[in-house]
Amino acid sequence: MSDARFRNPGWAGNTGEFDLTEADVRGSEFVGEQPLDGGHPSVAPSLPYMLVKKDPEAPLFEGPYLERFEKIRSRYPMARAALIPALNLAQELRGHVSPETMDEVAALLGLSDAFVRGVATFYTMYNKRPVGRFLIQVCTNISCNIRGADEVLAAFLEHTGTELGETSSDGDFTIAEAECLAGCGFPTCVQINSRYFEDVSAKDVPAVLERLKREVNDGF
Amino acid sequence: MAYPYRHESETRILSRGFGDPAARTVAGWKAMGGYEGIARALEIGREATIEEVKASGLRGRGGAGFPTGLKWSFMPKDARRPHYLLCNADESEPGTFKDREIIRWTPHQLIEGCLVGSYAIGAAHCYVYLRGEFFESTRVLARALEEAYEEGLVGTDVMGSGVDIDITLHVGAGAYICGEETGLMSSLEGRRGEPRVKPPFPAAVGAFGMPSTINNVETLAATPHILRHGGEWYRQWGTEKSPGTKLFCVSGHVRKPGNYEFPLGFPMMELIEDVCGGIPNGRALKAVIPGGSSVPIMSAEDCRECSLCYEGVEAAGSMLGCASVIVMDETTDIVKQVRRMAHFYAHESCGQCTPCREGTAWATRILRRIENGRGTEDDLDTLVEISEQMTGTTICVLSDSLAMPIVSSIEKFRDDYLALIRRGERVGAA
Repeated sequence: MSDARFRNPGWAGNTGEFDLTEADVRGSEFVGEQPLDGGHPSVAPSLPYMLVKKDPEAPLFEGPYLERFEKIRSRYPMARAALIPALNLAQELRGHVSPETMDEVAALLGLSDAFVRGVATFYTMYNKRPVGRFLIQVCTNISCNIRGADEVLAAFLEHTGTELGETSSDGDFTIAEAECLAGCGFPTCVQINSRYFEDVSAKDVPAVLERLKREVNDGF
Repeated sequence: MAYPYRHESETRILSRGFGDPAARTVAGWKAMGGYEGIARALEIGREATIEEVKASGLRGRGGAGFPTGLKWSFMPKDARRPHYLLCNADESEPGTFKDREIIRWTPHQLIEGCLVGSYAIGAAHCYVYLRGEFFESTRVLARALEEAYEEGLVGTDVMGSGVDIDITLHVGAGAYICGEETGLMSSLEGRRGEPRVKPPFPAAVGAFGMPSTINNVETLAATPHILRHGGEWYRQWGTEKSPGTKLFCVSGHVRKPGNYEFPLGFPMMELIEDVCGGIPNGRALKAVIPGGSSVPIMSAEDCRECSLCYEGVEAAGSMLGCASVIVMDETTDIVKQVRRMAHFYAHESCGQCTPCREGTAWATRILRRIENGRGTEDDLDTLVEISEQMTGTTICVLSDSLAMPIVSSIEKFRDDYLALIRRGERVGAA
């Protein structure tokens, strides 16, 4: 058996020894378009909330987003339980959760500002300040670490010319370190907005960044 | 070869649909015998469903290994108050990547498991608490759940039985501690994910103050198969104390990492050397963490005779946990990896209990000092002492989870620590 690096189709469609396409692996065709109103109420609290497009001034909540918010509320026996899905929805729209956003969500759910701030700051996935179009989170926990995650993180910083936690000057990329993403089988695992890119090595980093830039230009 | 890796000697029950996009649809899942398990449960009734799972000997796959049927039987029998089933899909134990695989390849396997579990405990509503980062797998599960609702498999009058079971997908926002069962309940209720003191246990006072049961994804996914074929059928695999098959998540220094399904009791070295193709580049095995980062580290010697079942790994001085086998070759810097783990636990500590909040942070600083060549031999004693104070002194076991790798690594790889300390002393003297 050769020691040559294998490729999985989790990111660039390079299937190597595997014969599934990237769409097969991601399930993107099966999933299809994501309805803004959240679809069936059972799944309304589950939509991705890290997107390329963000509008920090977006209202909370109007039109189909209000519909989704009402569907979310209908699924819990107490109003407070809708808080985390509501914060998720706010971040999906605005790209980050500012203190003002926290207060607005508090008012919507009839909770105190202090309580909502306490909750929102507990969870790491809420961006407390604006991030780039792509938030690139590199797992550096043990399984990825022993397979070179530190080099992958360094390569992302080098090729975007930015510091850890900062956003590149073109506003495209924010690089962060992540804890185990549960993608340990194909290290290094990198979460980029709502997608996982697996089996990323330091030398793959320029290609990953190019692909992301291409997607922005294509209106992704 | 279909993605991901497979091996011909596997016993594929849970993983049969992995790598097969067709298994994601209701039709595809039914073609594989799907929804027959819940159909049989509805036919034989609640009590008999619990008895069947008890007979199978299925133990919780989230790490603790508690017998599932017994857990279900703790739920009150009366229906005066609502009951809830919570599915723990907040998979975040470092080294573990099995639940994500079940969710993204065989979403109906989980949905059917949620139906079986909900029915058994008399719950009309099941919440699947999904890890926030799992956006893509969550969307696959969401599409499958919508389809299940359309087909009358979930919701009002499940499969024409007169039983109502709703399922809601709830997505978290990034906190390891929400994988702890009472932390998960706090988070589901819209609070910080802080664990609660037990008792009261969730079966008495759980989510929203109501009787609740929490099961791991892999546990629930196994139940439809048990109902369909019977508890005895499940016992044909595994050992007396650890019946059935299990997904082993192998990561680290092996040629073919991935999820492999084998009967419990499978030899660890066979998994590493034969199934996963061994360690690349002709290197030697140094250490293995057999159950996710929260269990004691094993030396290569400990692994030799170890069989992967609850009692087998315990006999080898560690714990099976969620069977996340992290393989480390001779080039691995153990001190750096333990420091990385300590950093993780310090970051994820919810901060309620002093021994954990302070202990994880102290341990991280001391380990970093040693790693940077500024440690002393006394530091090792301090680390062991802090670890003792972090064990059994807190609401949940997060701090115990760091104490175990620290103490075991100092015990088994003391020379690695000493080499860094002595190198530092030489540097200091010069």
